Amino acid sequence: MTAGATQPKEGRPKRPAPTTKRIFTLIFVAIVAWAVLTIDVRLERLPDMPAALANIFDRMFLRDGPEWSYLPDAVGYMIESVQIAWLGTIIGAILSLPLGFFGAKNVSSGLISNIVRQILNGIRAIPEVLVAVVVFIPMVGLGAYPGTLAIGVHSVGTLGKLSAEVIEGIDPGPVEAARAAGGRPLQIQRWGVLPQVLPEIVAFWLYRFEINIRASAILGAVGAGGVGEALVQSLQFRRFDRAGMLIIVIVVVTILIDTASGYLRRRIIEGGDRPSKGAAREQPELAVLRPGAQADAPGGP
Amino acid sequence: MTAATASRGVRPSRPRRSLMGPIALLVFLAITWWAASDEFGIDFDVPRLLTNLTRGASILAEFLPPAWDFLPRTFGPMIQTIQMAVIAAAIGCGTALPVAFLASRVSTPNRFVFLVDRGVLSVVRALPDILYALVFVAALGVGPLPGILALILFNIAVVAKLLSETVDGVDPGPIEAARAAGSGKAQTVRWAIFPQVLPNYVAYSLYAFELNIRASAVIGIVGAGGIGNLINAERRFFNYDNLTVILIEIFVLVFVVEMISIFLRRRLV
Repeated sequence: MTAGATQPKEGRPKRPAPTTKRIFTLIFVAIVAWAVLTIDVRLERLPDMPAALANIFDRMFLRDGPEWSYLPDAVGYMIESVQIAWLGTIIGAILSLPLGFFGAKNVSSGLISNIVRQILNGIRAIPEVLVAVVVFIPMVGLGAYPGTLAIGVHSVGTLGKLSAEVIEGIDPGPVEAARAAGGRPLQIQRWGVLPQVLPEIVAFWLYRFEINIRASAILGAVGAGGVGEALVQSLQFRRFDRAGMLIIVIVVVTILIDTASGYLRRRIIEGGDRPSKGAAREQPELAVLRPGAQADAPGGP
Repeated sequence: MTAATASRGVRPSRPRRSLMGPIALLVFLAITWWAASDEFGIDFDVPRLLTNLTRGASILAEFLPPAWDFLPRTFGPMIQTIQMAVIAAAIGCGTALPVAFLASRVSTPNRFVFLVDRGVLSVVRALPDILYALVFVAALGVGPLPGILALILFNIAVVAKLLSETVDGVDPGPIEAARAAGSGKAQTVRWAIFPQVLPNYVAYSLYAFELNIRASAVIGIVGAGGIGNLINAERRFFNYDNLTVILIEIFVLVFVVEMISIFLRRRLV
């Protein structure tokens, strides 16, 4: 776009060279072709697939189910998942706040912040389901308990990283003022830094709670309590009517909590009821995708 | 900041105390107590946690040292995981493109399509990938196929949501130019909107692929193929030192994929 504007009037701007684009396209096509051609899928099953899917959908929502008398039980399981997510998020928030301070270059030293950041990246790279399956279920047994711990530990990764980034972006004025007034190091953090970053960090906590609701619904699938466990069992016993009911409950509760939490986040960050704009604001973890953002650290939600 | 404009020697007045703070704190404590309590919640208590953690240390010791001779047996499932992620990303992100254009006010043909598309997307997004995998495994039997399907749905949801928000924010100039030149709706999308959002679209697709690698490691645990299958088998037999090897491998794979993806994204923007 800029090329056209700065170019002298005579002549169209030149077409960009197509070579790089072609190379990337070629590599992309090659990778996809490799995956499709070599994957061990029994292709003869493919034609039956639409019918099988239609059948299970039919049995879940139209013919057999959803079994409405199962609704109270389904809601009960979902509440357990929400509780797991809530407590897990609190664990993550408590552990991640100090790590956020240690991970911020402007608060701690360069070396310490680098070490903390790498630890946080390591935590984020391993999904919570694996944390539950591999670490906490062997340690504390099945149930809601290991699920809560797994969510807590995994949340530390993202929450710590986001908190550190917010702390790095503060206005240095209040910190200087606190120091000039004779504040001790901890007091400087408490009165110079924390008030600046708390709204945004609390908004991250809420956002993480939304993600953790999905995570805790998943965790049941490996025996860590909540609605996932009920869904696994109803599918194992081919009670598709109950599975349908459970799915409806999951969808409705998740959307309700997302909406409430999204409203709260906007209130906290903007202090009013003005609507906010942009995916990055709505979903803080996607900030890495914004053009120009330093996407230095691996790891994701 | 307003203090600077106030006259010297006068302290700025304290902001009015609001009831919102204490109320929010009370609600927070009430929910936490409710969730952690024995009767209503999941019976979470800290003393028991501490005893469990000390007892768990002996189990954690079984994870070490990693059983490296197990490594060759993980390559097959690991490659299947990558294949699943690639296929799902290609199909899912491809499908997400038209879905995203229909879900943005700027490019949607009419209000009805817009609302239906948005509604379907938010329902699809509310269910996590592993639950789709569960349902598809129940419908189609175990193997990578149900896993790929689950990842496809998940990718459509993620990419279409992000891309439709990007389309909402495009520069209206090229759209006007295309209209003025007499192009129809589809042509406007193709020549005025698509080039503007293409870098974002590629970035979102790479991001979805990253998520796929992580997710396809997990959905195998419920029987949908890939490395997760192996994790499930090994944990059943309490081969914790083999699990360590798999974990390290997943960690390395995720790291490498993210590095590549970050490099490509940098080149784009």
